[in-house]
Amino acid sequence: METTPSAFALTGVAKHFGDVRAVDGLSVTAAAGGAIALLGPNGAGKSTTVSLLLGLARATSGTVRVLGGTPEEAVARGRVGAMLQHGELMPELTIGELVGFVRGLYPRPLPLPEILDLADLGPLVKRRAKGLSGGQAQRVRFALAVAGAPDLLVLDEPTAAMDVESRRRFWDGMRAYAAGGRTVLFATHYLEEADQNADRVLVIARGRLAADGTPAEIKATAGGRLVTFRLGDQPAAGLDALPGVTSVEIRDGVARLRTDDPALTTAALYRGTTLEVHDLEVSGGHLEDAFLALTRES
Amino acid sequence: MLASYVRLEILRMLRNRRYLIIGIGFPLVIYLLNANVFGKETTGDGVSLSAYVMVSMAAYGAISGALTNTAGPWSQERASGWLPQLQVTPLRGWMIIVGKMAGALTLVLPSMLLVCLAGALTQGVSLSAGQWAALVGALWAGAVPFVALGMIAGSLLRPDAVQPVTLITMLGLVIVGGLWFPVTTMGATMRSIAEASPAYSYADMGWSVIAGHGVPLSDALTTAGWAAALGLLAVLAYRRATVRA
Repeated sequence: METTPSAFALTGVAKHFGDVRAVDGLSVTAAAGGAIALLGPNGAGKSTTVSLLLGLARATSGTVRVLGGTPEEAVARGRVGAMLQHGELMPELTIGELVGFVRGLYPRPLPLPEILDLADLGPLVKRRAKGLSGGQAQRVRFALAVAGAPDLLVLDEPTAAMDVESRRRFWDGMRAYAAGGRTVLFATHYLEEADQNADRVLVIARGRLAADGTPAEIKATAGGRLVTFRLGDQPAAGLDALPGVTSVEIRDGVARLRTDDPALTTAALYRGTTLEVHDLEVSGGHLEDAFLALTRES
Repeated sequence: MLASYVRLEILRMLRNRRYLIIGIGFPLVIYLLNANVFGKETTGDGVSLSAYVMVSMAAYGAISGALTNTAGPWSQERASGWLPQLQVTPLRGWMIIVGKMAGALTLVLPSMLLVCLAGALTQGVSLSAGQWAALVGALWAGAVPFVALGMIAGSLLRPDAVQPVTLITMLGLVIVGGLWFPVTTMGATMRSIAEASPAYSYADMGWSVIAGHGVPLSDALTTAGWAAALGLLAVLAYRRATVRA
């Protein structure tokens, strides 16, 4: 028996547009099931990664596998659904006609009432696509994405243009969909959305994977505060044993200590070690800082 | 899958006011105006001008419709993001181009039938059932090259450029081909240019049918040749427009 293929697997994937390395050596595998956030600042390579997974773009190097095949195969077999950032709808058609059409393209679609319910579209069924608000159009795009009951649902910045209430309902719909054993990958630059709606968070920055874990793990590795100082050639042994320290990273002679209690760590650094501490800095403390720390130019 | 895509394309165009007015209404109005002015005269073949102009306007409506039903919408869809929306469904690339061309070709029929109906009912154009069938059949099948030409324009041009280019192309084809001013009114040089143009070969199939000569093989082959050449170019342009970077 073959093992169940992963929802998707990127191996050393790079995508260059001229000199711009939109994706620059990305390797990540996702087992089937659950909600995965692709979190990163604007320009981090999220949309390019989404395009690669959907077969809308081809990798410059590396391999992209989706549900055990190429992205094109997975899309052609109706196993992938996607909500793109800028997909306009045909203005002359009603919401019901659009959803019905896309639904009909898939081998085993969701029942129409279930789609309308997930996307909260009931009252809009007879409306033409022309003249919908931005948030309403987003909900229609979500309906088109889930219509075919895809095993992998890919959402690129799905809540842009939605108001607070729409967002709440949207995430309810997304979680209901993912609860059925399907995989949902959503790209976002909102930390809060990733934290609240994902089982796993992939943080990307400058086309690379900066962190990968549950929201709790991401906060633990990147959270807390950062104590940095110039270590030079001195030995790093014992730094991780200092009080409060959760992780130690040495790069180019600079030590970066993540700590729950910078005061305690700093005090111990001076009093409990014989190190010469130069250029000491303390930073961070919020979730936003954690995110910035993970995605910052290093 | 393909059938439902064609149905969708037809449905959306039938709701498009621009298509209804320019694609269906305009050829009919021009025909009625022309027929009422020239209707009683006859051509050299003894065919009434109202019948001759009926064919011209049916052909004009088909060419105009074939171009405008494809070029503008296709260019618009590429720019607006509807295309990537389709590309992430199981609908394949070949189905998109075949579906769009089949839909556009179907939408050529209403204006053609209306002009013929107006000819028969209001201008006293009288043809045998076989002639009517040959006329509509030839003009319908013969519209393929113009549908392909519209797809080429839609693949190569951005939405802001596609409208004027399509309009100028359409006027050029129709005027040079003698659909608005018969080739018999042209000078010798102009006439030989006209007779070598695609719209002339196309409309001439219809003019021959109403003169009782049937569809000339040379016209049919020429139109088929244009269909093959422009169809091939349409596929190449489509591939270029939808290439995955």
